[in-house]
Order: sequence, then structure tokens, then C-alpha cells
Amino acid sequence: MRPSLLLGMLLLVGCSTTKGPLIDLPADGFVNHRAVLNAPGRQFTFNGYLSLNAAGAKRLVIAENFGGVLADVLVKPDGKVFVMKSSAAFPADRIRNYVAADLESVFGTKGGRMTSPEKNHVVLKRFGYSLDIRVLDIKAGPRDAKLFDEAGAEQP
Amino acid sequence: MNRHTFIVVLVSLLALTGRTQQPVPVADPKPFLDDLAKKMASVSTVYLEFTQERVLKLFNEPLTAEGVMLIARPGLIRWENTSPYESILLGNEKSVAQFERNGGKWEKLKIGFPQMLQRVMKQMTLLNQGRLDAMTADYTVSVATGEVAVVNLVPKDANIREMLASLEITLKPDFSATMQVQMNEPNGDYTRIRFRNEKRDAKFPDATFDQTKPMPVATVKETVNRAP
Repeated sequence: MRPSLLLGMLLLVGCSTTKGPLIDLPADGFVNHRAVLNAPGRQFTFNGYLSLNAAGAKRLVIAENFGGVLADVLVKPDGKVFVMKSSAAFPADRIRNYVAADLESVFGTKGGRMTSPEKNHVVLKRFGYSLDIRVLDIKAGPRDAKLFDEAGAEQP
Repeated sequence: MNRHTFIVVLVSLLALTGRTQQPVPVADPKPFLDDLAKKMASVSTVYLEFTQERVLKLFNEPLTAEGVMLIARPGLIRWENTSPYESILLGNEKSVAQFERNGGKWEKLKIGFPQMLQRVMKQMTLLNQGRLDAMTADYTVSVATGEVAVVNLVPKDANIREMLASLEITLKPDFSATMQVQMNEPNGDYTRIRFRNEKRDAKFPDATFDQTKPMPVATVKETVNRAP
């Protein structure tokens, strides 16, 4: 095989896009997960708490190792993003532009460059960073309606 | 007195005598802090198992995690989550390290902001060594005593208070054990760390605090729990 053809195939494989979530999710439920954000030369760990409802809304709370909430975002079924809480580590624009997009890729239907090394383990590759997500627990069942209400969101 | 009345009186008496008394604030916390520091000064190591409860108003149930914390003089600390995920934070007076269990293997991470983590780890070490006097530059310290002793720390920096309203440390009144630490946030959310099975002056295996290849926690637990 010619080197250029091999390189082309490798690039195609490397850029393959996965549609839909690689994790079996309930329509209504709660997903507790651990995430490692890999940036060039640096890694950050977070705990993620995701609530889902059957209408398609998603509410993600991101906490640091000792429990402090760093980000809280609500994505409505129509894709509208509401930042419920931002922080110095996760400013509102980063939540809107990156966290919400990654959430829709990993736990929604947006898709992206994702692999699943094992069950309930997803690696999402973005330009300049990657996100390694391991699901710790999934609880099926309806969540409190207040979770999906944008009242109290930070103003853009 | 008939049988029914006797039971009612007995239950009432038990309820009265068993009622928890709220700790009473002390006017001057300094003697208390000096006493705590003096008693803890002779403790060379501390081993604690913990349950961490994250209570958010958003969720109906607390989010829990299990783990162990080990501290050794002069400034060594190991904070390890064992469930529902496995992660180790290690600190000494010069550096910090983090390991994450991924796919059955431990991976040493390149920590993003090591200085920030180092500061948190140092404060945790000071708290558990009873060196609260060293924290008065950053916190306003008050003390209440009773059936338990409660040390309350409020950050002096307004920016930090936006994230952390106060830190409450509950100890046995004779300082023989740290019972819990609670981190209160301004919106009412909090993280409570309940400690148990505290062992002081336990001998830890070599490499317990090794920042390259830390000793597995199972070996550390076995060694600590085997000791008389």
C-alpha cells in the first residue's frame, strides 16, 4: 500500500464522527460521571451530575474534587443553552461554547469524534483538547421539574 | 402509676436526657486553639476513613463518595477516593501529585493548577494537625463547645466567601478524633465529610506518600488495621 493512501486512511479513521450517544441512557434519569479534561500539558478532573428528561432537556452540574460547583448548565430540548452558574474556572462563554457542545456530543445526538474503549467509557476528541468520561452510575426515573426550568439563569 | 403512664414518663425522661445539647460559643477561642494544637503536636500520623456527602438543593438525595485520608508529619497528606471512582491526591511541603484509575490502571496526571491544589492540601494538613492558629491569617476562627467541639472558620477574603461561606470542623470534646468537616456554600449547598475509624500514630507502609508510585490503599489499610 502506498504511504499516501495509508496516511489518507489513517486520517479518515482519525476523523471519524460518531453519531448519537455511545452510552445507553434512560429518557428520564440521572447520570453520575467522572471526567478528565486533557489539554496540552495539563489535565483536570471533575465530577459530573447530569439530569435528563423525556422531553430532551439536559441539566449538567460540574463539581471539582472536593465538591465545589464549578459550572451548572441547562440545555433545553430546542438546543437553547442557559448558564445557571459559572465560575472562574468555567466562565459563562466557555460553558456556552464548549461545555454545552460537549454535553450534546457525549450525552445527546450531536455526535463527534468519539471512541468507547469500554462500556460506559467515552473519549471525545476536540481540536486542542480531549475529554475522557467514565459513567459511574445511571439511575432511571423522572427528575424534579425544577431542574429543567431556566428561571434563575445567569444573564448573558 | 399504671403501666401506660409509666412508659410515657420513661420515654419522656429518655428523650430529655438524650437530647443533644447545642455547643455553646466560647468568648475567646485562643485557649481552645492552643490546647488543640498542643494535644495534636504529639501526634505523628493520622489515618481516617471518610464518607463525603455532597448536598445540593437541586437534588433530592445527597451525592456520596467514600475514601481515606492519611496525614504524617511534617507535611505529608494522601486523600484517596475509593468509591464510586478511584483517585489519589498526594501532597508534601514542595509538590502535589494526582493519580486517576482508568481502565484498570493508575495514571499519573499532569495537574493543571498545582499551586492551587497545593494550597488546599496544605490547609487540610494544618486542619488535621490542629494547627488552626496558622489559618487565622485567612480565616476568622470561632469555637463552640459542648457534647462536641465545633470550630468555625469564615474566609476573610470576600471573593473566597462567594464560593465558601464557612468551614465547620466537629471534634470530640477531648480532641481524640475529628468527627466531620462541613464546607458551607453561600446558597445553602454544602459538602459534609464524615470521618470514622480514626487511628493516630499508626505506622504507614513505605511509599504511602510516594508521588511516583504510591502504595495501594488496600496494603495501607491492612497495615494500619493490623497494628495493635
